[in-house]
Amino acid sequence: MKIYLTTAALITVVVFALFVPDLVGAYYVTVALNLCMWIALTQSWIILSGMGGYISLGHVVFFGLGGYTSVLLWQLVPLIIAIPAAGAVAGIFALVIGAPVLRVWGPYFVILTFGLAELVKYVVLITETNLGKSSRLLFGTPETAELYYVMFGLAFVATVLAWLVRRSRLGQGLLAIREDEPTAETIGVPVTRYKVLAYALSAVIPGMVGGLMVFRSSYFEPLQIFNPVVSFNIVTMAIIGGSDDWRGPIIGCVFLVTMYELLWANVPELYMIIVGLLLVGFVLFAPMGIVGRVTMQRNNT
Amino acid sequence: MQVLASGQLLFSALVLGATYALIALGLNLVYGTMRLLNVAHGDLAMLGAYVAYWLFTFMTVPPLVSMFLAIVIAAGLGALAYVGIFRRQLAERTTAGRLEANSLLLFFGLSVIMQNVASLAFTGSLRAYQYLDEVLTIGGVAMTGNRLVMLLLTIGVCAALTLFLRLNIYGLAIKALIQNRDAAAVVGVNVERVQLVTFSLGFGLAGLAGALISMTEQISPFMGFPFTIAAFIVIILGGLGNIPGGILAGLLLGFLEVYGVALTSPMYRSVLLYGVFVGVLILRPQGLFGLRRIVR
Repeated sequence: MKIYLTTAALITVVVFALFVPDLVGAYYVTVALNLCMWIALTQSWIILSGMGGYISLGHVVFFGLGGYTSVLLWQLVPLIIAIPAAGAVAGIFALVIGAPVLRVWGPYFVILTFGLAELVKYVVLITETNLGKSSRLLFGTPETAELYYVMFGLAFVATVLAWLVRRSRLGQGLLAIREDEPTAETIGVPVTRYKVLAYALSAVIPGMVGGLMVFRSSYFEPLQIFNPVVSFNIVTMAIIGGSDDWRGPIIGCVFLVTMYELLWANVPELYMIIVGLLLVGFVLFAPMGIVGRVTMQRNNT
Repeated sequence: MQVLASGQLLFSALVLGATYALIALGLNLVYGTMRLLNVAHGDLAMLGAYVAYWLFTFMTVPPLVSMFLAIVIAAGLGALAYVGIFRRQLAERTTAGRLEANSLLLFFGLSVIMQNVASLAFTGSLRAYQYLDEVLTIGGVAMTGNRLVMLLLTIGVCAALTLFLRLNIYGLAIKALIQNRDAAAVVGVNVERVQLVTFSLGFGLAGLAGALISMTEQISPFMGFPFTIAAFIVIILGGLGNIPGGILAGLLLGFLEVYGVALTSPMYRSVLLYGVFVGVLILRPQGLFGLRRIVR
């Protein structure tokens, strides 16, 4: 019975999502695009940071690298090649830096990821300046609706990926690493391999998302695509919703995107203040997020 | 090459290094005693800078006087944060274990709140004022009075803090907590009170640093973050909780930045700073003089 319900719900969501551009106005297509973007990013984030407990405060680095890749490839190759290439660059970057970076533990990892994202941002900025392209203009970028369809696909794949990883051997290994890394290693979890693999898995889709989102505006500016607010939003969404499995990011993203739409245009500072308050509140009072809270209460009754 | 040997550059490096050492002092105290990673540290400096700016602009109170108010306000916030949030978190075994990582998220939230409250209240525009900005020439080195004052004051504060940690009973208690929390409690240190003092002291030092920085640099609601990062580099380089190590590392970073930029171009400043940060964390996370293992 449950499986039929799940399937039915899934089909409804997909069908509805496919018709969004026909059903609502242009403004809401943008909102739907943003929602899908955050879902894709946050679902990817929880693979390493939710399940593995290695909190990345610099996930924008993959988003930005993907964006930069697809800008460099723009009008050289079609998007169908450029977007996967953006994902590949982000994934390879994660594989290369994974081993040394993931040796650093706990809070040091958190600030390291932040520093790394800023470092890559300034390296790209300098590269662009040396190339004499302080801000590139992009002509003939795709329509919002087109971007939306691809983005919905990415959000869907990211959600399925988070679900699959959580049920897999890798997911169980990551949970063990989160709870107690030395013990996990002692009982035979291939700790380094799992962490690096999770890091790469959580990087590929953000790379593609960045590769897509760069076409939202008609010019490219490194400081914008590597904006640390992206990393910060991802973390907050995951913490508000809960970062243990795929349900948390969806709830967290819907919640924050709604608030963003209500507040950002008029008082961006107020939006940021509320996000800050929510982050503090959830870390203090509900560290498992909304999903964790609900599950706990259901188990109690 | 002649530029590199000049006293002018040496003086700039000393001033910048002293600034970094000063801003890292408070962070080091709070981290050393409680293992709390205060990423809002630079924002407290921002607050101190605004206190000095407004008092100077409206009442021409010199920053050397208003810095005391900046210390009091920042220290008050520190006490508030400790009593309101961190006292309970530190006391409970269940939360204390995860607090090192959680403190980062908590302070990150507080940092975002402070930046945006400041941006709402003061607008995002850059501000500056002129104080002691006439140029003096000492031994062939031209300098503005405010930079000289800043250097001398920082040296004074570092010396005073070192003496405080050696001679004063609270200072000794703070050092005891840095070395071993549980043992300090066993031998009769009132851990809660010492933590409160440390929080206020650490935050107050950030406020002081901000008031001093406002004499020489433009201020804005988002000025804090680069200072937070610089302070983190300094305390990691110097060894977490190692106060003299931090002061040395601050000077080192100042020299590295000034001479690095002089050799290349100002464009590379951020890359240099973050490059050192990432490199140190990956290659030698226990710091240049540190022992504590933070790599698995």
